[in-house]
Amino acid sequence: MKTRFFIPLIWCILVVGILLLYSLFDARYVEWFPRCPFYMLTKLYCPGCGSQRALSALLHGDFFQSIKYNFLAIIVLPFLLYAGVVNGLNLLGKRNVPLHIFYAPAFSWAVLIMVMVFTLVRNIPVYPFNMLAP
Amino acid sequence: MQSNMQGQPIQPKNWLVESTLVTIFCCLPFGIAGIVFASQVNTKYQAGDYEGALQASKDAAKWTKIGFWIGLAGLLIYLIAFFFFGVAAIWGSRHF
Repeated sequence: MKTRFFIPLIWCILVVGILLLYSLFDARYVEWFPRCPFYMLTKLYCPGCGSQRALSALLHGDFFQSIKYNFLAIIVLPFLLYAGVVNGLNLLGKRNVPLHIFYAPAFSWAVLIMVMVFTLVRNIPVYPFNMLAP
Repeated sequence: MQSNMQGQPIQPKNWLVESTLVTIFCCLPFGIAGIVFASQVNTKYQAGDYEGALQASKDAAKWTKIGFWIGLAGLLIYLIAFFFFGVAAIWGSRHF
């Protein structure tokens, strides 16, 4: 009983904490948000670069700017929200509704291809590819 | 292995949600390895390779967790460094 709620509780605290943090402090302008270690080492953009600024932009209502910072994060966010809601309802209602999309081979391979193409394209320093760079 | 009503083993957890989160928010390529194994879980399970799907599930869990913990460690190192250098900078600007 206790362990059933322990990890979901940590998830809830994390999600609420992150939403509060990135709405109270704007990662686009505040200096002390962590920089990407991958970028510092390689000067290449990883698929996650810009996601903090994208999240802050989204929470401050600037949808188009958030797309500019990290297109991929904004695309997958609705799917992740869906997964979170289904898992939460399963836990509360003691049901076991499966996440069909996430267990479909076509979807998971599509995610993989999207991540890899996105990573490749945003590192090409030529217009229009560099529009995907943060 | 647990079975479902049709007598097939239950599809193992594929870690796709977690590995996608690590890819996007931990700034590390380990999440991509997690997504690769997550996809293998789905493909192998559909093909009837239940043992392979279980192994891919374990690998997906492994890489997702490696990415998560390295990401968290990096964050802590960053915060500690920021705190010390930040404090040093304020102290320095006032006294030197």
